Amino acid sequence: MATIGHNNLNAKLVDPSTPFRFPLFLSQYFVSDDLFLSSFRQVLLGDMGAGKSSLVLRFVKGQFLEFQESTIGAAFFSQTLAVNDATVKFEIWDTAGQERYHSLAPMYYRGAAAAIIVYDITSLDSFTRAKKWVQELQKQGNPNMVMALAGNKADLEDKRKVTAEEARVYAEENGLFFMETSAKTASNVNDIFYEIAKRLPRAQPAQNPTGMVLVDRPAEGTRAASCCS
Amino acid sequence: MNDDETESDGEIRASVEPVSEDAPSSPGSSGYVGEGGSTSATTGSQFEIEHEEIEEDTTIDMDRISISDSHASWIPGKRHFDEDDGSISWRKRKKHFFVLSHSGKPIYSRYGDEHRLAGFSATLQAIISFVENGGDSVKLVRAGRHQVIFLVKGPIYLVCISSTEEPYASLRGQLELIYGQMLVILTKSINRCFEKNPKFDMTPLLGGTEIVFSSLIHSFSWNPATFLHAYTCLPLAYATRQAAGAILQDVADTGVLFAILMCRHKVISLVGAQKASLHPDDILLLANFVMSSESFRTSESFSPICLPRYNPSAFLYSYIHYFDADTYLVLLSTNSDAFYHLKDCRIRVENVLLKSCVLSEVQRSLLNGGMHVEDLPPISHSGSSHLGQHMLPSDSPDRFREANSGIGGPAGLWHFIYRSIYLDQYVSSEFPPSINTPQLQKRLYRAYEKLFASMHDKGIGPHKTQFRRDENYVLLCWVTQDFELYAAFDPLADKALAIKTCNHVCQWIKDVENEIFLLGASPFSW
Repeated sequence: MATIGHNNLNAKLVDPSTPFRFPLFLSQYFVSDDLFLSSFRQVLLGDMGAGKSSLVLRFVKGQFLEFQESTIGAAFFSQTLAVNDATVKFEIWDTAGQERYHSLAPMYYRGAAAAIIVYDITSLDSFTRAKKWVQELQKQGNPNMVMALAGNKADLEDKRKVTAEEARVYAEENGLFFMETSAKTASNVNDIFYEIAKRLPRAQPAQNPTGMVLVDRPAEGTRAASCCS
Repeated sequence: MNDDETESDGEIRASVEPVSEDAPSSPGSSGYVGEGGSTSATTGSQFEIEHEEIEEDTTIDMDRISISDSHASWIPGKRHFDEDDGSISWRKRKKHFFVLSHSGKPIYSRYGDEHRLAGFSATLQAIISFVENGGDSVKLVRAGRHQVIFLVKGPIYLVCISSTEEPYASLRGQLELIYGQMLVILTKSINRCFEKNPKFDMTPLLGGTEIVFSSLIHSFSWNPATFLHAYTCLPLAYATRQAAGAILQDVADTGVLFAILMCRHKVISLVGAQKASLHPDDILLLANFVMSSESFRTSESFSPICLPRYNPSAFLYSYIHYFDADTYLVLLSTNSDAFYHLKDCRIRVENVLLKSCVLSEVQRSLLNGGMHVEDLPPISHSGSSHLGQHMLPSDSPDRFREANSGIGGPAGLWHFIYRSIYLDQYVSSEFPPSINTPQLQKRLYRAYEKLFASMHDKGIGPHKTQFRRDENYVLLCWVTQDFELYAAFDPLADKALAIKTCNHVCQWIKDVENEIFLLGASPFSW
């Protein structure tokens, strides 16, 4: 079962005493790995240290590491989710933000159906770099690519350098949808991936809907307090 | 045996004038301990002084050093960002490594902040240029207890400043490996950037790799592969290694250039496509790159990697996957679109490894360790041997007594390294209780390093045998066309018995070679 939120117990969780709980709507779309119908490649791009790996790890493994080491090349993850009456398998490429890997980016975004361009709300430079990624994708990427702009580290409000309004305006002007996220608090992390899934070319409805196993998640109020529930 | 370095062409010998204790340390003076500049630490200094990395006047009480300081618990990463060439602590460091461009721009420094060392880098560059302008090349400068080793690689200059008394050949080899590690990350095509712009700043291209270099430099203190230019295998039953090799061969036949299964820095099995050979230094650099980067443990990774001895000018594409905390698979392809194929190959490999219990055997081998000198079969012993066969039960009082006496193996044998010349592989025994601290282990490693260098010194050798006795060890080295054996004995060991024991070690290795070496692989033509 492709359940999300199984925290790696060896990982240094920020606050193990208050386990992260997924929003109730997640039960609508997380399904077993063996029943996906549509597979989409998705790429995360952005400046070094913007939080790309942290976003993916929060989404795929439900974990957050305070000190995340630099990605080398690209890391590959897969995650399956259900959107309405269709299921989507994301093949996620988490790319390295270092300058030396820039020329290799097309290797990862070529043929990608979706991209999340990540910047750090506490860094103007990372926002400038994000704009350059958008330009590159507009020129060289798949013309039908669904693009999202993620303003990460939204929990660091006191250190903010990029306003949400500025980013939203830029996103609207360039045909992206925009969300501010926090891999640390998990704010909007699942939502941004779900939003991408909704915008992807319509997946075919399941041939045998009764065979689709949704993750059974009890209502938030009745859930037992467990980091792996 | 004369251990002194022989002077090579273009070598400069420099003597530094001593500066009075009261004189301020000027940028022009070396500032190294005992060679000018201020040597007294300021009171209330907040410098974090790392044992074994800093020169101290006090002697070290070996008995009080905890084993937890070993390389297993060493924390990788850049140290002492706050230091620069004006810091007393920086000047006291025993061994510095610097990488700079031919325009004098700092690229990497083991200690301190590169940008704050711009002036020092410019000085190093000036020395190299000054000698080059005279139609010569600088290789070594001696200044008191310090050696300054220079290595010029096109537009990139590498410098080591060391007071560790390691041989010139070893330190130069370490600079070669650092350069090799840079090529793993960037390839030789970086030279083109300098051709276009001589003042090109390379540091951003190495962003996030400090940990890779610090890990490599740390390995110069514990990994014999760094001077032996050979790789070591994890001890495994012949059938287990064969099972791993067979599936790797299967995937290599589907267009994979190299398939390498490793456990930490030890090879379990490796297979190359026809006519493709892998240099042991490339295995060392690849393993260091993978193991020092935590990023590879999180998920499947697909990354460009250069193998400098295979082709320094081009990237290969590596698929890297950890099966558990220690065991990982590296699949290398020349095709940048090979990810999904390599992923399928990994799934096939993993299924076979699980079915044939290879992964559990690997964990068992890690637990048991390799060859223990205490297990050296009695000289009268004949017949087939297996690793651990002669071991006393771990709860045996005899074994307990032996461990505490620190005697080790027969004739006072403490440790050995055996290198197969034909296979480009080596095997090293586990450290006995008598060498149970990182400092003692490092001291033995350095003794082997010196022995290796003197055995291979073209100026005064090469030699076939060497016997040395000092207050720490009896060291015996034996080089033939098939193998090299380096052995350390109790300092009171009898010479004749030591020689007899070395013969016996060679026989033991022959008896268990199926378990300690990767025999199927053809020799690597380098």
